[in-house]
Amino acid sequence: MNRKQILISILAAFCMYATAEAQRIKGSDTLLPLTQELAEEYLAEHPDREVIVTGGGTGVGLAALPEKTTDIAMASRRIKFSEKMKFAEINLDAKEVIVAYDALAVVVNPSNPVDSLTREQLEAIFRGKITNWKEVGGEDRKIVVYSRETSSGTYEFFKESVLDNKNYMSSILSMPATGAIIQSVRQTKGAIGYIGLAYLNRYVKALAVSYDSGRHYAYPSVGTAADGTYPIVRPLYYYYDAAREAAVSPFISFALSPAGQESVLRQGFVPVK
Amino acid sequence: MDTKMNIQPASVFPKGYSRRKRRSQTVAFAVFRVLSLFIVLILFAILGFIIWKGAGVLSWDFLTKAPSDGMTSGGIFPAIVGTLLLMLGSAAVAFPIGIMSGVYMNEYASKTGWAVKFIRLMTNNLSGVPSIVFGLFGMALFVKYLGFGDSIIAGSLTLGLLSLPLVIRTTEEALKDIPDGIREGSLALGATKLQTIWKVVLPMGMPRIITGLILSLGRVSGETAPILFTCAAYFFPQLPTSVFDQCMALPYHLYVISTSGTDIEAQQPIAYGTALVLILIVLIISLVAGFLRRYFEKRLKIK
Amino acid sequence: MKRFLERAVKWLLTASGFVTSLVILLIIAFLFAEGAGLFSERVIEDGYVLALNRENTVKELSAAEIKAVFDEDVTNWNELGGPDMAIETFRLEDADDYFTEEQLGPQYENAGSLIAALVESRPGMIAFIPESMLPEDPSLNFIKDKTISPGEVLAGSEWFPTATPAPLFGIWPLLAGTLWVSLFAILFALPFGISIAVYMAEVASGRVRNILKPIIELLNGIPSVVYGFFGLIVIVPLLQQVFGLPVGESGLAGSIVLAIMALPTIVTVAEDAMRNCPRSLREASLALGATKWQTISRVVIPASMSGIASGVVLGIGRAIGETMAVLMVTGNAAVVPTSILEPLRTIPATIAAELGEAPAGGAHYQSLFLLGVILFFITFIINLCVEYISSRSKAKYN
Repeated sequence: MNRKQILISILAAFCMYATAEAQRIKGSDTLLPLTQELAEEYLAEHPDREVIVTGGGTGVGLAALPEKTTDIAMASRRIKFSEKMKFAEINLDAKEVIVAYDALAVVVNPSNPVDSLTREQLEAIFRGKITNWKEVGGEDRKIVVYSRETSSGTYEFFKESVLDNKNYMSSILSMPATGAIIQSVRQTKGAIGYIGLAYLNRYVKALAVSYDSGRHYAYPSVGTAADGTYPIVRPLYYYYDAAREAAVSPFISFALSPAGQESVLRQGFVPVK
Repeated sequence: MDTKMNIQPASVFPKGYSRRKRRSQTVAFAVFRVLSLFIVLILFAILGFIIWKGAGVLSWDFLTKAPSDGMTSGGIFPAIVGTLLLMLGSAAVAFPIGIMSGVYMNEYASKTGWAVKFIRLMTNNLSGVPSIVFGLFGMALFVKYLGFGDSIIAGSLTLGLLSLPLVIRTTEEALKDIPDGIREGSLALGATKLQTIWKVVLPMGMPRIITGLILSLGRVSGETAPILFTCAAYFFPQLPTSVFDQCMALPYHLYVISTSGTDIEAQQPIAYGTALVLILIVLIISLVAGFLRRYFEKRLKIK
Repeated sequence: MKRFLERAVKWLLTASGFVTSLVILLIIAFLFAEGAGLFSERVIEDGYVLALNRENTVKELSAAEIKAVFDEDVTNWNELGGPDMAIETFRLEDADDYFTEEQLGPQYENAGSLIAALVESRPGMIAFIPESMLPEDPSLNFIKDKTISPGEVLAGSEWFPTATPAPLFGIWPLLAGTLWVSLFAILFALPFGISIAVYMAEVASGRVRNILKPIIELLNGIPSVVYGFFGLIVIVPLLQQVFGLPVGESGLAGSIVLAIMALPTIVTVAEDAMRNCPRSLREASLALGATKWQTISRVVIPASMSGIASGVVLGIGRAIGETMAVLMVTGNAAVVPTSILEPLRTIPATIAAELGEAPAGGAHYQSLFLLGVILFFITFIINLCVEYISSRSKAKYN
């Protein structure tokens, strides 16, 4: 037993040593492309540094923070109560930084004549109460509802914002990643799904959404998200250990710098300022 | 092949067979032939599609550059290196243990004893364990319990255990075919059991063992599920500097690039290219294995 | 010295012989340790309580009932055995609708007592709030928080691992999806597998066989993620067009991909079995005047039935455990499948897709390990079947 402990601590020490230089960033897949782009630019400015960006999801990132296997956790949702309690157990003071905002676009197949939906209609569609497009003014076609995987931050945010915290129907198609949703919505005539604004392309059609029962509709864009007229907007976070602030602050301040925020915009996210 | 088949019925059917019998045989064999042809077509459809779409992407830059511009351009060099490292790492785990285990099963354990039966049962069971279960296990044991974190070493250990049954089985089968007379001859000359194994049995079995080992490398190169939670990095453009770093890997890269990513249009070619490189690795490995097999066979015959 | 070396090597080899057994034990131990933890988790999310007004007589709710209440599918307490009152739900996020920010305080320090007072004043209200927020000794009723029961998990038909306040871990849809897609995969693969095996073992000339053999090996060697990619890009859109389906991602797409993937296993094992069929049997049949096809269909195939069966069972095992390809093409809808043309969700795909986001150590995380345990045991049983079948066939010829 004793020997094993020694072995593990040697390995652990080696592990610390080996990766002391590298900045490890882990978590949300939504933030991945953005963080990766930021990392590329950061590395171009500081070729001597090392940055490792890995996905896995918000849960993985936030779990890795107290385990010290990451320096920054990317999160597409706010830290959960249970996760906060876990941090408190080991006296970890997690600092939260909003790096960007993300608008979620509701997308349908380009051949779909429907252009806009209210929040109530969206809720009914994603909860399986409305199952045919003709009920919301479209063609007589079955609605095929695509969602992200149950545990992604995007899934949870959409549930909070659009579904008013109610649960999706169980027959919803869950896609492992946003790219797969686009692929499917593009192929499927009756499809509806939601994707980050950054992923919007010409193969899918974004819908205008109204949060006031149809009085005002807004199309998703960086502009409408920034001025608050588009309603489905969420903050994206970096979490880090306050005790290790010195180590992570160069990268974070780069992310928040004008240059960093410019690539936020370029990636299709909404800048913080 | 066709001409040969056409001649066959005449020679296979002696006089006196009824037409009905003859016809049912012709029909049955034709069905078999068509279905077999179908499989060949499937393989060529898959390979052809990926080669056709991926060949244009393949270039020196694609193979030797890191991804850039949010993975919409650049190459897959770190993923290739990562996959090679994982293959090496898993080989370092599986080969010694697997070969030793195979030697034990064939040379030491009594053929009818409970130990052999039990080990064989467990080895077969292990080979049937789904790769995602290995992933869960690797995450629980190596990443969490032993504290390696997501790292090359955790991924290699997981993949090593995954390929262990295959290595054991190849070793065992290679040694089984060596006639006992050779062992007895060596022992009769005064060699010890260890000397016999080391100097006689293993060298004779080596060609087939090596062929099997190479094939097991091929399996490792394509596994995604076991490294999902033990090793794979989405983006890590530098090359890993220690075994405790994460690394990119080709199969995971293909999965990520074909299902997520901001710019599908720009990334689709990269996905085809990655798939092509993966298939090329598998192809090269099976070609090398086939070549080695034939080479060794020839050499043995000459001897 | 020499003797010692011989001994040491023997011990080393013996020890490595048992490594696979050790790994199996470790897999069981680790998966069980995490998976069994699920049953000591609480139904209601950690750190939270469900508070009721004093007048409400409801004491217990199952996870499914809690979900129905908060989804507003159940709107009156009398449906749950309580008094005839409309249900009002309250979550922390709703605090802004009832109180101003000034009332709540800058750090939400007044939230607890305000919410407690609110629930006290509303007879039909059920509030989902952190336990630590509540004032001491509130005059409220609480839903009794039980641990998650094995019955709810094993027989539950809803998989909502991230539902709040109470996640649902019914594995039945996942299990049914896994078995359903594997069943169809085998149905597709079987005729092909057996035919090719017969063709290669009995009919084809040596030259044709030498071409087919590496092709089958190559099919076996193609990584599953490449199959998944091919399925996603080619098979899914193709099926959608051919069958006019509303969705292309379906059990059918999954089972076609799985059938291709299981084929090499079936062919290899079945072919081996037929080749090992004793020559004497074959010659006896031919000598009695049977045609080659009669010999194959009446003698060779029945005699090598157990080998063919183990090939098929191994193929099923491969299909059940396959992860990446299935994840990419089946649509992953967690419903009990009623037709193969609809999307479905398998156990391996669920683990691969959800483990990344599940908070480590939580109920969701543990439930995924439990799925791993179940998957492990399904394949374990399958392997024991194969073992049994092949041991019987050995006994027959020896």
